[in-house]
Amino acid sequence: MNGESRRRGRLLVGSSIVAALLLVGVYLAAGGASYTPEKTQDPCKPRPWSNPQGLGEIANQFTISALDGAACKLGVSREVLARALASPEARERFAKRYGIDDAKLARAIRAGLLRAIDDAEEAGALSSLIGGPLRSTVERIPLEQAIELIRDARSALSNVQGLFGPAGKLLEEFIP
Amino acid sequence: MGADARRPRAAALALAVALVLADSSVVVLALPDIYRDLDTSVAGVTWVLISFNLVMALAAVPAAHLARRVGPARAAAVGLAIFAGAGLACGIADQLSTLILARCVQALGGALAVTASLELLPATVGSERRATVIWASAGATGAALGPAIGGLLTELVSWQSIFLLQVPVALAAAVPILAVAHDEAATGIIATERRRTGRPHLAANVALAMVSAAIAAALFLLVLLLIEGWRLSPIEAAAVVTVMPLAALLGSRLDEHVPSARARAAAGAILVSGGLAGLGLLPKATVLLTIPPQILVGIGLALVLSALTETAISGRAPQAIHGGWTISARHAGVVIGLLALTPIFTHDIAQQRHDAIDAGTAVILDSKVQPLLKISLAQKIEDRLEDEKGKVPTIGAAFEPLPADPGERAEVQQLQGELQDQLNRGATHAFSPSFLLAALLGLLALIPIGLARRVEL
Repeated sequence: MNGESRRRGRLLVGSSIVAALLLVGVYLAAGGASYTPEKTQDPCKPRPWSNPQGLGEIANQFTISALDGAACKLGVSREVLARALASPEARERFAKRYGIDDAKLARAIRAGLLRAIDDAEEAGALSSLIGGPLRSTVERIPLEQAIELIRDARSALSNVQGLFGPAGKLLEEFIP
Repeated sequence: MGADARRPRAAALALAVALVLADSSVVVLALPDIYRDLDTSVAGVTWVLISFNLVMALAAVPAAHLARRVGPARAAAVGLAIFAGAGLACGIADQLSTLILARCVQALGGALAVTASLELLPATVGSERRATVIWASAGATGAALGPAIGGLLTELVSWQSIFLLQVPVALAAAVPILAVAHDEAATGIIATERRRTGRPHLAANVALAMVSAAIAAALFLLVLLLIEGWRLSPIEAAAVVTVMPLAALLGSRLDEHVPSARARAAAGAILVSGGLAGLGLLPKATVLLTIPPQILVGIGLALVLSALTETAISGRAPQAIHGGWTISARHAGVVIGLLALTPIFTHDIAQQRHDAIDAGTAVILDSKVQPLLKISLAQKIEDRLEDEKGKVPTIGAAFEPLPADPGERAEVQQLQGELQDQLNRGATHAFSPSFLLAALLGLLALIPIGLARRVEL
């Protein structure tokens, strides 16, 4: 092999190394290795409310707190529980997969709702005048209604009269 | 033989080689359609690729011996006829097992046709070196063009048309070869020298197997990423992966300027690895970003495949047998690549799908849309993922109908964008380990390429 052919060979190999390193370097610099999937959060960790304004935001954070509390009690993520509560079929699939019967689910959902009431009171979003009766109601309501309270907290909180009867009209004054 | 008769024969032989070697990758873009049509799994449908490559790997050397025994022209014609017949069976197969069996028979015919072609080419083109170059280039071109042609046919007609179209093409290639077979039969002369078979070029063939494993991964994984991950249609994916054969054409021009086969092989392996690493490190789920890595892989594959094939065959006799070894090494590499990487990426895809469901639900739960809507959205997205059987879905349908309230509508639309981005990035990330592993395989090929320099095996 002559010198010229050797030089061309070296040039080709050198250019290939530069091209490969350049591509990898540029892609790394642009964040090519930085992807990490969105992590689900530990439902047992306290999640402080972020200064809720208005009924919509209160209902939103109430739902999250209730899901966290119930998921923590059941030992699943709140994401899994949220999907399970979307429909009776989803609940059935969830019960089968995790071996959780209705009684256990009801206990967990109630525990979640109680945590949501505590969090709401702590954030100043719910007066203790409402919190007390709401707790007593939550401890007694059937599973379906408890689930509905998580799914549609806004309607429930805006219709306190429906939950507490005639006294609710007075209590509505204490919800922002 | 006059020049007028030689040209169509050389073209027919090159066509036969390109057709058979394209078959190793031609179904790549059709795999998603095949697995939906035949109701199988990603791992199951991979065997449509693996079976062909495995039989080619096992049959290439025995086929080369057979071709020398019965006469290369007769063997090439019979091989092409078997290839065409099995192609017809593939085209009408309605079960995965039938399709895989027909692919095995196709590979037997293909092995016979390809190795016999190499035995015929020197006499047809007048020089062993030229014959090797034509044979290696036809093979590299076929392998590079295969996915794009397969994707085009799948989208425009059907996956079955890929195999049905092979029938007339194989028969057309067989016609000029039949004339030589007729001469062989009439004269009783088999135009092969009875030279003692030298041992195969170990380093070149090992390197060829390793690089082929990496290249198979590049094609197979990229196509799956485009179709299954980013939801491109086969024709769109075909257009995207056409970058690779175009770059390969560019790479093949470098052959003339750099005489050293070892330098071309090393440069090719480095480029293939760099391109694969680029595909494993895509910063965004965008088609445009796959182009620079594809250019590197395309140029690299043209350089490394032809350089290693030439090294393995040149100066060794008989050519058909040594050509058979290169075919065997290449296809064994493809099989190893697919078998090693399929479980990794199918596991990664399943994991990614699980993460995507949770990440999607987390994005929804943390959004400001009202609780009733967020819980129903979370459920609809899980249903979409279930319906798509592992394919990353377009989630637009889960967000229909959009809320009437303008504020909430904007909120939901932003959520939809965030979620789709999360899913696309997740899908892209699921392929990264496999691409990076394939890049490592390509780099490891530098060891036998380097060894070949010290010991001229």
